[in-house]
Amino acid sequence: MVTVALDIDIELARPWHDAAQATHPSLIDTTHATNALFGFTNIPMAVWIDENGTLVRPAEAASIERSPLRDMEIPEGLPEQLSKVMHAVKAIPDDAEAYRAAILDWVRNGAASKYAMTPDEVIERSRPHSDDRARATACFELGEHLRRHGHADAAVAWWKEAHRLDPQNLVYKRQAWTLVTTPEGATEYDLMQGPNDVYESNLVDEVSGEGGFAQFIVRPTL
Amino acid sequence: MILTELRTSAAAFHASTGWEPKPEGLCRGEVCVPAPGALGADGALDVSIAADRLGMPLVHDSDHGVWALGSATLGGRALTTAVAADPELLTFDKKPFHLSSLRGKKVILLAWSSY
Repeated sequence: MVTVALDIDIELARPWHDAAQATHPSLIDTTHATNALFGFTNIPMAVWIDENGTLVRPAEAASIERSPLRDMEIPEGLPEQLSKVMHAVKAIPDDAEAYRAAILDWVRNGAASKYAMTPDEVIERSRPHSDDRARATACFELGEHLRRHGHADAAVAWWKEAHRLDPQNLVYKRQAWTLVTTPEGATEYDLMQGPNDVYESNLVDEVSGEGGFAQFIVRPTL
Repeated sequence: MILTELRTSAAAFHASTGWEPKPEGLCRGEVCVPAPGALGADGALDVSIAADRLGMPLVHDSDHGVWALGSATLGGRALTTAVAADPELLTFDKKPFHLSSLRGKKVILLAWSSY
């Protein structure tokens, strides 16, 4: 197991890394390079790589246990935005049990596992990639570069363009939204990423509308 | 890949995109795309030619003098090869880490975020 945090700020990801006390390689991708190289568009997503460095499954949703949030009773009287997001979370498709079983099967049986794909299958099952989606990777990277070099306002324009070109890429959106909705000096990101003055879109509205979180999820085909 | 000019070293292009400029073309895994004129005798790569051959959009910010090279659209899929990319990632101690250091083991690369 190798985990990689898709996060331009290592310090905001660090508390989670520290709390996990991981015994596996725990990495961070501050430029979101893996989004384009592997096809990550949401979290959690994973790829499987065999002993020879060959992908045997493309990027897909990768929960291995059912989130307790899915079974939580949503109390009356919550703030409206929180209630909307909670209802959206409860509606996320749950493939955790089957995905966990598939991993264990691959660990035991390797290339003979029915879940291990051939190279051609991996390519064919990876996400369709248009010029717009490729251009979105460039726009996001350009924005990240400009922000890192002190041009936060210029970054926003490029990230808006990335969102327009690849609206199903929730990582590009959430990374950008959270930077404008998290209060300055906070030690943790704002997870709600609600309406704000910078971006036309926001998490609350996108996941509480038609399609919910499911529109952003690449479900594993098992 | 971020660029301040449209020429770069073959090594830098390979490290950022996974595509290795060779005399026979731009190669990744079992795929080699002919790119006449892309690779100069001095080892420098003409990024415009390479981008065109691989279907990589080039985005330019003229105010800041930088370009960004998008991912390849060759084949119309997010992956053009099943050979896993090997970008330089960081540990939380800010030390470089390559997935290729785990050859011989099965790897599940799981992406997460704190937002």
